[in-house]
Amino acid sequence: MRTKAILLLLLAAVAASAVCLLWFRPETEHPVARITRDGILLEEIDLSRVDEPYSIALEDGSGLNTVLVEPGRIRISEADCPDQICVNQGYISDSTVPIVCLPHRLMVEIVGARSELDGGAG
Amino acid sequence: MAGPVKGAGRVTRLALLTAIALTIFMVEAQLPALTAIPGVKLGLANIVTVYAVFVLGPGDALLVLSGRVFLGAVFSGQMMTLLYSAAGGLLSWCALCGLKKLLTREQIWLASPVAAVCHNLGQLLAAAAVMRTWAVMAYLPYLVIAAVAAGLFTGIAAQALLKRLNKIQK
Repeated sequence: MRTKAILLLLLAAVAASAVCLLWFRPETEHPVARITRDGILLEEIDLSRVDEPYSIALEDGSGLNTVLVEPGRIRISEADCPDQICVNQGYISDSTVPIVCLPHRLMVEIVGARSELDGGAG
Repeated sequence: MAGPVKGAGRVTRLALLTAIALTIFMVEAQLPALTAIPGVKLGLANIVTVYAVFVLGPGDALLVLSGRVFLGAVFSGQMMTLLYSAAGGLLSWCALCGLKKLLTREQIWLASPVAAVCHNLGQLLAAAAVMRTWAVMAYLPYLVIAAVAAGLFTGIAAQALLKRLNKIQK
């Protein structure tokens, strides 16, 4: 009985997650990248207006991240932390998941034209 | 494993379990990432945590867990990750303690996926607090699915381990 309840609960969690992933397909026709540290906005880049790839170096007391901006997509190309998780994540071009650098508390997220309205709290 | 072990025997056993957990943790950290989603991993070291909660009890399990989490952060050279691991570890430990009361020793495999989901939830909550944004919760659906799969794997491994250790003890 308890086994079944827990199994059902797990199944429900997986199903809800799958529905979430399939349902909320991000529509990002007009991608805008927001780079924040500690929730404070550092850069806001309209990715549809980027013509030439360029990189930005972001440094603070905790370390250095290099962000590579390309037309329609963005990535963290370098980080001076040992785990390199944010670098390995590669490019993002829609609002599915942000790139997060936990050691440096840095986040690169993409907000679309649609989610910009309700993305204020983000 | 009948009855609580005290004194030097207890310390030795806790030290041994911590060393095993830390070794598994460090070896797993050397493996390349399975997916582009950060946080998705097997979490093999949690086999030891699950075993410890069910066999040694919550208190000793917390000692092993905190020892492994702290030393894991020291050895991987990332003190910042200590916060996330600790938050995840603590929440999954709470879940395991609750589940210990509900489940018999034959159902340990079921406790692990629940604990794994709690672990990822705790990590994301810590990340949300540090980054001061809920945007990190976008990872939650991916992590829940991965956690259930990985948790089932480690749970079954913990169950098999328990079965064999029981044989040795007899």
